[in-house]
Amino acid sequence: MSHHPTVSCIPNTGKMSKAKKVIEEAKEINNPEIDLVDKGISSLDEIPSLFTLENITRLSLSHNKIQVVPAALANLVNLEILNLANNHIQELPVSLSSLPKLRILNVSLNRLYTLPRGFGSFPVLEILDLTYNNLNEKTLSGNFFIMDSLRALYLGDNDFEFLPPEIGNLKNLQILSMRENDLIEVPRELGQLSRLRELHLQGNRLVVLPPEIGSLDLASNKSVLRLEGNFWVPPIEDQLKLGPSHVLDYLRSETYKVLYSRHMSAKPPPPAQTLDKSKKASRAA
Amino acid sequence: MPGLATMSLDNMFCTRCSDGFEPNEKIVNSNGELWHTNCFVCAQCFRVFPEGIFYEFEGRKYCERDFQVLFAPCCGKCGEFVIGRVIKAMNANWHPACFRCEECNMELADAGFIKHGGRALCHSCNARIKADGLQNYMCHKCHGVIDGEPLRYRGEVYHGYHFTCATCGVELDHTAREVKHRPGYAANDVNNLFCLRCHDKMGIPICGACRRPIEERIVTALGKHWHVEHFVCAKCEKPFHGHRHYEKKGLAYCEQHYHQLFGNLCYVCNQVIAGDVFTALNKAWCVHHFACSVCDAALSTRSKFYEYDERPACRRCYEKFPAELRRRLRRAHHYTVRR
Repeated sequence: MSHHPTVSCIPNTGKMSKAKKVIEEAKEINNPEIDLVDKGISSLDEIPSLFTLENITRLSLSHNKIQVVPAALANLVNLEILNLANNHIQELPVSLSSLPKLRILNVSLNRLYTLPRGFGSFPVLEILDLTYNNLNEKTLSGNFFIMDSLRALYLGDNDFEFLPPEIGNLKNLQILSMRENDLIEVPRELGQLSRLRELHLQGNRLVVLPPEIGSLDLASNKSVLRLEGNFWVPPIEDQLKLGPSHVLDYLRSETYKVLYSRHMSAKPPPPAQTLDKSKKASRAA
Repeated sequence: MPGLATMSLDNMFCTRCSDGFEPNEKIVNSNGELWHTNCFVCAQCFRVFPEGIFYEFEGRKYCERDFQVLFAPCCGKCGEFVIGRVIKAMNANWHPACFRCEECNMELADAGFIKHGGRALCHSCNARIKADGLQNYMCHKCHGVIDGEPLRYRGEVYHGYHFTCATCGVELDHTAREVKHRPGYAANDVNNLFCLRCHDKMGIPICGACRRPIEERIVTALGKHWHVEHFVCAKCEKPFHGHRHYEKKGLAYCEQHYHQLFGNLCYVCNQVIAGDVFTALNKAWCVHHFACSVCDAALSTRSKFYEYDERPACRRCYEKFPAELRRRLRRAHHYTVRR
């Protein structure tokens, strides 16, 4: 779509003026929350007046065609919620991580292959949504796991084969989604996330789980544990048929600890990749 | 050699009177100083030193008696002078053998002592007396010692028998209750003493925390009565003082700690949900924060939404999802429905 800019721009001119109208109105009534959802915006440079709205606390830019996020967006120092879901973003500026009040950042449904160096230095980030991109453990920024204010991390629909053990640093994490990645293994350190109440591991290539997962409070009626669509060893698969709480009970058993250590020392080859990701919209050039 | 003797006599003078000496006179030599025998006397009584024993103090010589009278400390017990080791204690001087525990007569010089009520006691007697002394209240009316428990009234302690019950007139003991304030009574009626029987009949509620009667403002909660300042959050122990409290399993909590302990923080603002709560997908929202997680559009509690990683997505957003994602979500949905 980006290679037909003239074609895509002509029908959007109507929408563009709408975007400007939203900003003008927001300025007039001093509205701190800006909705620019589905306005056909392909570049934020088309609406420079946006960068003058220093008082806004929420900016929603979902369902546009933004490819480049200008570093100047970090001038909106009062932003608490920044939503860039479903755009065409391939890269993020590191300046975003200096937004002093940013609590919720949504960059899901984009085309990210990497994160900028220093991406982890958000001072107060609570919810980070990177669902449906092209990220993996090698392309995360070095300081990604220093975001200890994080309470929800959504990495579903990406390309992780391993989850770095530094995940154990995110002490406040309550929600972790790794749905439909290529995970072969999850680290023992996941067991250190004592506040975790939601763990999505469905649709990966997992065979065993570290016994430490059994110590997490994932069986209560306020918790979520999704494990289906993996290649579990038969005892786990059998318990999973009875329900996730049975899996947790089993992980705590001595029998399982023996099975797990035997499995980890034998290191059998991981199951083959089964998800065909070539059709993913995030792969679009 | 008389010449030499004469020569030397001419140069010698008495230390006291400065006069010379007669040729055949007896001369006293003390540490190189010379004296007439009549001049070598006590500086206080001017008498010859008995048996030649004298005490020197600040360049003057005294006989034993005067030296002791003037300078030696007197023992606080036997009144004799203390020569040798002096024990200075309790603002007096003592022979080591005379300074003893006033309870058990043990020598204290080396064991050490404790001052208790103006008396020097050994450690063990002090501990015993102190323990006994705790019960020994002094009656504020007759100033006699109270054996056993005192009656407490207006902040003082008394023998119970000085008072009678304001209702039945029976003589009181320490179990009597002081009533400081009662609703419906004039100020003159307050600060009365009642026997336990009459007090119980008055129906004054008992605080569920401190078990003492409540005579001022009463809080009734959790099926009990409480002093206002004793009705507190089970977590932070701060009194509610009329603020809203939350009950859980027979305990009361302040708003903050109830939510901290039992959930109901809003998924979006992460704050305690003050108003109405919307609960879905194992999460809670402030009603005005319940919104589509993809476009932030507010959702009403009646809006239809799609579940997406246990979060709500509005219909408009769901339809903008890539087709292959929608297909997978549909399949996952069937899986969860089947379960």
